[in-house]
Amino acid sequence: MANLISLLNKLDAIVAKPKAMLDKYLGEGKRVVGCFPIYTPAELVHAAGMVPMGLWGGQITPSLAGQYAPIFTCSIMRSCLDLGMLGKYEGLSAAIMPMLCDTFRGMSAAWRVGVKNIPLISFIHPQNRADAASKEFLIAEYGEVKKKLEAIAGCEITAGALAAIFKIYNAHNVVMREFAEVANDHLDVITPSVRHIVMKSSHFMEKTEHTAIVEKIIDALNKLPVHHWKGKRVILTGITAEPGDLLEIFTENKIAVVGDDLAQESRQFRTDIPEGGNPMERLAQQWLDRKACSVVHEISSSRGELIVDLVKKNNADGVAVCLMKFCDVEEYEYPMIAKKSEDAGIPTLCLDIDQSTRIDEQSRTKIQSFADMI
Amino acid sequence: MIMAEHTVQKPKRVLPKSRIMVAEQTSQVYKDARDAKARGEKIGWSTAIFPQEICETLDIPVLYPENNAASVSAKHLGDELIQHAEGPMRFPMNICSYARLNLGLADKIQDPTYNTADPLMSSPDFLLLANNSCTQLMKWYENLSRNLNVPIFFVDCLFNYYEEKPAEYKVKYIRKQIEGYIAAIENFSGKKFNWDKFLEVQKRSQINSKLFDEIIRLNARTPAPLSGFDFFNYMSCLVLCRGKESTTEIFKQLKEEVEEHIANSTSSFPAEEEFRVHWEGIACWPNLGHNLKILKNYGVNAVINGYVTAWNVVYEPGNLDSMAYAYATSSTNSLSTPSIMNMRADTIQNYNCDGMLCHVNRSCKLMTFHIFVGRNIVEEKTGVPCVNFDGDQSDTRVYSEAQFETRVQGLVEIMKQNKEARNG
Repeated sequence: MANLISLLNKLDAIVAKPKAMLDKYLGEGKRVVGCFPIYTPAELVHAAGMVPMGLWGGQITPSLAGQYAPIFTCSIMRSCLDLGMLGKYEGLSAAIMPMLCDTFRGMSAAWRVGVKNIPLISFIHPQNRADAASKEFLIAEYGEVKKKLEAIAGCEITAGALAAIFKIYNAHNVVMREFAEVANDHLDVITPSVRHIVMKSSHFMEKTEHTAIVEKIIDALNKLPVHHWKGKRVILTGITAEPGDLLEIFTENKIAVVGDDLAQESRQFRTDIPEGGNPMERLAQQWLDRKACSVVHEISSSRGELIVDLVKKNNADGVAVCLMKFCDVEEYEYPMIAKKSEDAGIPTLCLDIDQSTRIDEQSRTKIQSFADMI
Repeated sequence: MIMAEHTVQKPKRVLPKSRIMVAEQTSQVYKDARDAKARGEKIGWSTAIFPQEICETLDIPVLYPENNAASVSAKHLGDELIQHAEGPMRFPMNICSYARLNLGLADKIQDPTYNTADPLMSSPDFLLLANNSCTQLMKWYENLSRNLNVPIFFVDCLFNYYEEKPAEYKVKYIRKQIEGYIAAIENFSGKKFNWDKFLEVQKRSQINSKLFDEIIRLNARTPAPLSGFDFFNYMSCLVLCRGKESTTEIFKQLKEEVEEHIANSTSSFPAEEEFRVHWEGIACWPNLGHNLKILKNYGVNAVINGYVTAWNVVYEPGNLDSMAYAYATSSTNSLSTPSIMNMRADTIQNYNCDGMLCHVNRSCKLMTFHIFVGRNIVEEKTGVPCVNFDGDQSDTRVYSEAQFETRVQGLVEIMKQNKEARNG
């Protein structure tokens, strides 16, 4: 148990201060490249011998970002821009940004004006994935990202290096999925906040290191007796369930998180890079295989179905939709998610997510009422 | 005395012939769709900058939700639909108000007795989606598709995040999608695609784009022959009927009217043009009257704006690569901020503008980013002042009449000082 707590504390410290990890890697003489949410080919960074590090903002009140980002920009992007403008990301060799929504389209210029010392590598995913031409396009588009990374790293990203890195990333996905399952047998230890920390920390560490720690956590959990959780069980969906205080309110109300469809968490781990063939083709195919996500064009209600399945599979009592304020792609999906859940008889709670503010009493009241209802 | 005030009415402004022609053209588009539905034929809804030449070639009626939302809002009929989307349909209020209005409308018109919105759209059998204006269009159409159980034909137009021209592999992706769409819509509609007719439609589309461009350029004269807001009335010709001959007739008529203004030294701007500004962003459709009243009171003619030029899709007829390139680059929102704002700076210089009035449109994140990030480019390159005001294209809760007037006053003050300094 002591070892488990020590491992969890280590990840907690990393999530609380990702900058320390940046400084650590820089101190080791490594180059670090920032990766904007939600889907950035971090594998290319890794294969170039550099460290990919997620840029997920922070719980700050932006002071400079308002110069370039309108007030109705989501809090993650506002805080990322602010941190960039404040020099907090200094040391990054570049930042990679996918054009997944209108905010990213705007941010691609805002970053270049506001954070001049960190070069931006922009790219775009094809959204018409039903068209066969989309794959060829994405291979070429990733190729452009690859060239820019090679120039920064001063080395070629070889097919062999990529294939080896894909193994590491797929293995990490497997471990993270396993953790999500094992965690449900130990909801006394793996509280909503702890679960979040294990998931989120993956963005700030080299994958091999993170995999090793999570494997140890799983081993330690497996050695503990199964805990029969008497409280309520929910599934989270959205971009993030932050700030951290929010999840504490779940714990206070004896609500455990037994599964998630969060962009920052399980969406990162559920689609592997397929086996076989040319590495760049495989990487492109991973995007084509993604589904049930607000930044991926789909006509079907697959996300709603996935959430209902998660509820059933994990014996959950309800769904908490963590609706990122001013995240239009998520906001467009809310009616579908709510309807699919309700049609399946699943109670749904909608929480406003604003990373930059402290938790408001409205969320507390909503969660308390939800706990009484489910 | 009170009675007298009530009985004295301002003479109604006589509409120029071209405006009457536009109204007739729009009515015909909606009628064609209604008639086709009555005959049991399929009709579509399309985003504003989709390769419409293809359905035009196949004689399939298509309606345009963005244009419809603008018209409904300008007639102050949008609130009820927006409330329906936010209320029973549960769409959050932060998404685009065109989308909320249209999603509300799409739901309402499933009740055959509903007839409040004007113009009233017929329910679609398929959707045409190009995301060159924004990614919200994609999410909006996904909802339409799910709610109405109709298919989407999608041309993913990407986004030019850097300033250089789209690379060949990007144009190829878009061209292949257009080819795929032609085959798919042929199959869906059961109609054979006539490539000769397609070429004619493309040529017509180019004639119309060129004509509109010529008309807009005439407003570079000082004083301008038209109130810049007049251009809003002709956007529908390019959005709804870019490949139709009726648009050519309207534009020829409009051009004659503009040339007549020039010959007679008159203008449709209803006051003396003391200042010329570039209007940045979509119109505040429900507040057009107030916008124009204030601008008129201060002698400010918004002689040009980027929104009305966004529908000029210029390409070489018969060349699908060229067409693909045009659809990837014509929309204001398909280009990076430096690309757009450098274009704006050039326009400001070419139209001899004294300032830039920027609509911080709550519905349009990307246009707002362009303003926030790019106004420095305009100010540095042209030396003209830029002033922002808050508004929305359809949601009446955002705009403040008092703020608009204060901001215009502020802009006028700076423009006046600049003018006095220039004139010694």
